[in-house]
Amino acid sequence: MNSRDVAPQPLLNITPSGARYESVIDLERARAAHLPLHTERTEITADGNTAAAIASLQMWRCMIYPGFPITPSTKWIETVAAYVASTPGTPKRVKLLEAEHAVADYMVGAAAACRDLIFVTATSSVGLDHMTETTRSLGASGLGNVMIINVYRATANFPLCIEGDPSDTLAHRDDGFIQIVARGKQQIYDTVLQAPCLGMHPDVLTPTMPGYYGIKSSHRNARLVLEPDAAIGAFQDRWMAPCPLPGLINGDTAFGNCVTSRYFQGFKVAQKRRLERALELLPQVGADFERTFGRPGLAFFDAVGWPEKGEVDLAVVSMGPDFGTFEALRDAWAREHGMSVAGLAIRLLTPFPREAVREKLRRARAVLVVNQAHHAGRGHLTLDVADALNGLPVVPPIVSAFAGIGGADVSEATWEAMLDSGRRSLAGETLPPYQVFHEGRSL
Amino acid sequence: MSGYKETATHDSCFRPGSTLCPGCMESVAFQNLGRVTDNGVKTIFTIGTSCGEVSTLAYPNVVAWGRGDAPPEMFGKSFSIIHNVFESAPTLAEAVRDVSDVLTGCGALERPVQVVAMSGDGGAFAIGLRGLLHTIYRRSRITMMVLVNEFFANTGFQYSPAATPFSDTSTTPAGKAIPGNMQKPLDYVHLAMAAGADLVAQISPAYGKLFVKTMEKSLSLKGTAVVFVPAPCISGWKYDDGQTLELALLGARCGIFPTFVWERGQGGSVKDCPREATERPRIEEFLGMQRRFAHLVERDRETGAIRARAGQEAHLENLRGWVQENVERLYALGELKK
Ligand SMILES: Cc1ncc(C[n+]2csc(CCOP(=O)(O)OP(=O)(O)O)c2C)c(N)n1
Ligand code: SF4
Repeated sequence: MNSRDVAPQPLLNITPSGARYESVIDLERARAAHLPLHTERTEITADGNTAAAIASLQMWRCMIYPGFPITPSTKWIETVAAYVASTPGTPKRVKLLEAEHAVADYMVGAAAACRDLIFVTATSSVGLDHMTETTRSLGASGLGNVMIINVYRATANFPLCIEGDPSDTLAHRDDGFIQIVARGKQQIYDTVLQAPCLGMHPDVLTPTMPGYYGIKSSHRNARLVLEPDAAIGAFQDRWMAPCPLPGLINGDTAFGNCVTSRYFQGFKVAQKRRLERALELLPQVGADFERTFGRPGLAFFDAVGWPEKGEVDLAVVSMGPDFGTFEALRDAWAREHGMSVAGLAIRLLTPFPREAVREKLRRARAVLVVNQAHHAGRGHLTLDVADALNGLPVVPPIVSAFAGIGGADVSEATWEAMLDSGRRSLAGETLPPYQVFHEGRSL
Repeated sequence: MSGYKETATHDSCFRPGSTLCPGCMESVAFQNLGRVTDNGVKTIFTIGTSCGEVSTLAYPNVVAWGRGDAPPEMFGKSFSIIHNVFESAPTLAEAVRDVSDVLTGCGALERPVQVVAMSGDGGAFAIGLRGLLHTIYRRSRITMMVLVNEFFANTGFQYSPAATPFSDTSTTPAGKAIPGNMQKPLDYVHLAMAAGADLVAQISPAYGKLFVKTMEKSLSLKGTAVVFVPAPCISGWKYDDGQTLELALLGARCGIFPTFVWERGQGGSVKDCPREATERPRIEEFLGMQRRFAHLVERDRETGAIRARAGQEAHLENLRGWVQENVERLYALGELKK
């Protein structure tokens, strides 16, 4: 080939964030250095933390894994460390820091250094709280190549509870992350593979926080299908073009400047717009995933029991693995009570998919919202649902329930008691603003 | 390594446009370090929340950093800077170093990168001591420059763990009951050595040649270099215009912050600050130039000499005792080889 046939490569791109040197980092070398974990589709049995760790390891863009242990997320870093320790020639490294705050700080520096690599960690509860100062910075940073896997566990140490409720993730709604809930090992694995596609999209550039319930999802085994690394890479490549903005290594740039109130709001508006753009892109990423791998991809929620058209008597809104118990008893309970009952298990927590939730719930005569985390008022999800329904000509009554706080069992009897509250509301009974349910009754 | 004169002609990455106080030692340190890092290697700075940060990275003011208008093929002139939170500059720098190493390891990055973390003494010794020591402990190949102005200057001159005893700060105000800061400074030099740094220095840019040489050496090391830079602060120390360098030299010579350079395996030495107090300038000379010690010393109208205020003699003696301890401690640290 004549050298004149080669289009001249721009050496330098000037972007609003500074100059970017095109050829300084050769990502293809990083890709080539990746040692695939799987070359063909493989079926294993794994717990949730292992599923998340394998997904993290299969991405060639993940080269450094910063971490700090905390129950119930610890097995994620242990699994990654075991792989790195037993794989000669892998370019991957584990980075053990002195605290979660340092992990989050480290991810800022690393993700800013190279915006085309993905930096992922896993944490829980007070570990996430300990990161807070920096997660708030990260959320606003434009560093969509950061992913914090949040293994849900009750926050607060008075009293200390190491089991899974989503109070940690719900306390971080305003950090600026895209928060996605997964239930089931397969969904955990698939979500970790898709989340950075959304976060690193040039219109979004927002870090992601996929999460799943501690113990109930993190520690229990189930069947899991693993995809070949090459197929994962090809899927992600469709969503992850090299970042158009300069990083610390391949650019002349300044991150994290300070501003006065006169300018601060402008930055915040841009941050909010990027976050909201995720609402448009998430279904597209999910659809592409489904086309590629034949399993449902990212979605706003899992919908069960909704007829094609028309109303349902009672809609249940919740999230996490306990929704599975509701799914199992829904049909029988509905038949027994002569009612139609449908449900939404929320998958996208932040930004909350208001419009999509409204379109579903406007078809319900009453809505039962099941919250699983301590809240100062009627429940985080309840407020989100109320906000989504706001403005409808007829707003269905919302029954607000709490169950499973601190990872407590949400038994069939508890579900039946909560559904019964929904039924009573439908029958015109006035219920208290919220009720806490446990072992089949309202406390 | 280039000579001092040659370094002075280098293109500093510290540019016009900062709003640091005129006479701030931090700008002298930035200017010198900025020149030293113009050595053909891509430079990345991380900086904690501090005067140095808010005065150089304020939007929409110009960013007071960068290396001018070098053409793109001169990647060695490329410069980037990042601020995250108050305490995180060392951790960020370590991360940048690791990413460049991992990319280099797989052949994805062929050009070298040098990484410098900059913190104030509040960022390094108070809120960020854990991060500072752990990054040193992990032997990260970075240079850390800690600007020690003995205050949280950015937030209004509050006490920091580097404050000289009896200094007046806004949270240890000198009053009739309490004569300013009653706490001895943290032994940060020793801590950095014990944590595992390969080079530890306390040196002011007022010692131009040695400062440049120490910085050059720091950047060339395989391990962590920690350079503490005593940084007279015109607004907080409250001295007159034009006295910054004089105070920096006097403070070093009288034993408040002696110049000290130590390398693992070789040991170190105190420079320009004799062990014997009688051979050093009197601390009163240093104290008398600053109004943060005005409750402690005054100028004798007749002789012009600085002396303890009436009733403050014991405090001054106490301070003199700490200064001697400080000098002897650094001499002793210099004896350590590793
Ligand atoms: C977590 C946190 N606490 C408090 C502050 C407020 N703050 C900002 S800068 C600063 C002092 C900085 O002191 P130092 O590191 O010594 O730098 P200097 O301003 O003296 O240069 C403080 C207390 C903050 N930014 N973050
Ligand atoms: S307050 Fe002190 S440290 Fe801050 S810019 Fe002014 S002189 Fe420098």
